Amino acid sequence: MQCAERLRAQAYFDGEVDALAAADMERHVETCAECRTLLQDLGRMRTAIRELTPARATPALRARILRALDDEVAVDAHEAAHETKIAAPRALRGRSTWRTRTFWTGAFGGVAGTAVAATLAFFLLLPGLGQPMLDELVAAHVRSLMPTHLIDVESTDHHTVKPWFAGHADVSPVVADFTQQGYRLIGGRADYLDHQRAAVVVYQHGPHIINVFSWAAGQRSATKNTTRSGYRIACWRAADLQYCAVSDTGWDELRGLLRLLQTLSADDLKN
Amino acid sequence: MDEKRRRFEAQVLPHLDAAYRFARWLSNSSGESDDVVQEAVLRAFRGFDALRGSDVKAWLLAIVRNCHSTARRQQQRRGFVPLPEEHDAEDGDAMVATTPDPETDTIRRDHACILERLLAELPEEQREALILREVEDMDYRDIATITNVPIGTVMSRLSRARAGLKTRWLLGIEGAPRAVR
Repeated sequence: MQCAERLRAQAYFDGEVDALAAADMERHVETCAECRTLLQDLGRMRTAIRELTPARATPALRARILRALDDEVAVDAHEAAHETKIAAPRALRGRSTWRTRTFWTGAFGGVAGTAVAATLAFFLLLPGLGQPMLDELVAAHVRSLMPTHLIDVESTDHHTVKPWFAGHADVSPVVADFTQQGYRLIGGRADYLDHQRAAVVVYQHGPHIINVFSWAAGQRSATKNTTRSGYRIACWRAADLQYCAVSDTGWDELRGLLRLLQTLSADDLKN
Repeated sequence: MDEKRRRFEAQVLPHLDAAYRFARWLSNSSGESDDVVQEAVLRAFRGFDALRGSDVKAWLLAIVRNCHSTARRQQQRRGFVPLPEEHDAEDGDAMVATTPDPETDTIRRDHACILERLLAELPEEQREALILREVEDMDYRDIATITNVPIGTVMSRLSRARAGLKTRWLLGIEGAPRAVR
């Protein structure tokens, strides 16, 4: 026998119902053992699936795709310009565009590029966190996902990560491991944002990486949530620190971490 | 560099891993996925100008799915069916233990292997819905858009995928109907 509410219980589990329907479901689950078991199973399955080692595009594939894009751009440019009917040898074409691309990646990866972007952000940011700042956050997040850029200090212990920032960043953000709640602390990193050495705490949630940036809040602080280039950015302010969490995870997951960190900040202030 | 290319790299390439993961789950094979993802990224680049304010990740995954279907149809015409790759050379590194407790780790890895096999055995339309939900964290509307079916169909596919997974899990791991561990 199957409970008629199965699909609704599933929608509740997937966060697809409004508050009223959620309250209804919570009441229903109190009396329906079948739906109670279903919700437990769904939770366990989700955990198990999210613990699988996620496949990642290999550097070789990434390089292959970038080369294919180079060729594509070269063909586009060629067709647009109508320069000559004889195409340049493919290898040559590939090499020249490749150099531009490498330069671009390098510039963005380097501190110089970030500093320029930060300077721009400084002038353009009035009074909230403007577009350049958000772009910069996303660029920093993407950069962190490249091999060996994610973590400077690798530790799941906040007693290791927090003191590390003292020597490497201008601020000391709240740090804690929330493995119990599904957000594993995997390390910390220093980054250059908004004219200062920002502290970045890195969490893993299932297959997703969440970078929590923090720096001394100036006039231009923001507490809004937004999406840039498909990444979700949640910003908030605690005491004199500006925090921004960036990830490709869902809003619910991001908000979950945000709440944990805000609670931690509030406790810190009391003590 | 070309402005379109720059925007494309900034907006679309961050989702390359997601595209690859999704292609892997669709095809259950890595060699094939490389080609599918490359083709999808090129198609995405060609259609990038037409993209207006929609979710980039969902858009890219929909293209990956189309490329996968095209590749599958071509293979069927050629009568070629790839064997599932159980011991993929590229995955070698991922299998190296990173925790200091080898025994727990072995059990976890066994369970992970079984789970991956069970997922691979699900009917494709159920597997893709489940993977989009659980791994890519897409909501019902996004899944409906990507897989081109109504939301009600997404819900029933998810429900069947989850029920099927649970039943097989119980048969596969515990041999008797008890709770999923």
